[in-house]
Amino acid sequence: MGTGGSGLLMSQDIATIRVTRYRPEKDGKPYFQDYKVPYRKDMVVLDALNYIKANLDGTLTYRWSCRMGVCGSCGANVDGVPKLTCASFLHEFKGRTIKVEPLTHFPVIKDLVVNMDDFMHKLVEIKPWILREKESPPEEGEYRQSAEELERYDQFSSCINCMLCYSACPVYGLNEKFLGPAATALAYRYIEDSRDQGKAVRFPIVHELEGVWECTLVGECSVVCPKGVDPMLAIQKTKILGATNALKSLVMPRGGK
Amino acid sequence: MSKQKPFPEYRRKLGPGWWLSNSHFTQYMIREWTSFFVAVFSLIYIYELSLFASGAKDSALALMRNPGIIAFNIVALLFTVYHALTWFYLIGKVIPIKMGKTTSKPWQALLVNIVLLLIISYAVIQILVLR
Ligand code: SF4
Ligand code: FES
Repeated sequence: MGTGGSGLLMSQDIATIRVTRYRPEKDGKPYFQDYKVPYRKDMVVLDALNYIKANLDGTLTYRWSCRMGVCGSCGANVDGVPKLTCASFLHEFKGRTIKVEPLTHFPVIKDLVVNMDDFMHKLVEIKPWILREKESPPEEGEYRQSAEELERYDQFSSCINCMLCYSACPVYGLNEKFLGPAATALAYRYIEDSRDQGKAVRFPIVHELEGVWECTLVGECSVVCPKGVDPMLAIQKTKILGATNALKSLVMPRGGK
Repeated sequence: MSKQKPFPEYRRKLGPGWWLSNSHFTQYMIREWTSFFVAVFSLIYIYELSLFASGAKDSALALMRNPGIIAFNIVALLFTVYHALTWFYLIGKVIPIKMGKTTSKPWQALLVNIVLLLIISYAVIQILVLR
């Protein structure tokens, strides 16, 4: 195969990428396959996968698009930790053998490609758009918002739907029905948005049995998030909102709404 | 779009050792276990109190001096301290307080809570025990 010049590479210039292969038409179970790629300072895991696909094995299947940490499609478990493969340099990992596996907890369709239907349904379920009791006509202008009001939800709007947080969440791993980190963070983003009037619609969704109360504060979602979103905080804040609301309606059954 | 899936998907299940795969998970699991020790300690304590209340002072004292119980209490204390400190830290993560332009850090919450714990414990001992 035309790996051009690879014969000149010293062994210290080589990394081994150990990739999960799953070919549903042939294999009943996933297995690991090792590939040797050049080890360069400026190389990210996604580059290594692209190198494999271009030079060594065209059948390797994985998702990617922007290769700049924006589209959220290249997530994989790298050395056991959920990462964007386009934003993880080979030299960030300890050894010269790097394990790349599909995101945990999601069903695997092929190699590194997982089925994300469940997450997509959850995203839609929380209605990630501004809900108004009555839309005001465009002539009346935009719904205005101050810088402080923006700050209340700003970080939660940076989510790129990469699902790393779900892959890091053992609660989701144990119970697929759990609404989970990113969907709750996004729900909270709208709940905290001063222009939104959909609390009554979203509250039942985030507080139902498999909603925020399922979270046991492992906190790993916020550790792995590549965009600085803190889903763990959003979930706890939603719990606090729910609890104070319940208390209010207990103390003042009529006015507490 | 057709609903049919031509090939089977591979589903993975969390094995019983999942919490050993990552040090954060292990710390979390230890925090969860602490509640077991706290519960057992409370049961023993309530039993000792009931012995006192029913007048069986000697057997209550004997139980308290039992080396096994003392050893368990030391272990339970360590777990309780771990429980308290990790939760104090989490309070800081869950309720960050805005102070002007900066936001409080989790370790600050940890510190404030430790100080509060010491003050309240001291007050309780002064008022209830040493009065
Ligand atoms: S919250 Fe972070 S980790 Fe989770 S999907 Fe959004 S960007 Fe990815
Ligand atoms: S390829 Fe788009 S986020 Fe990595």
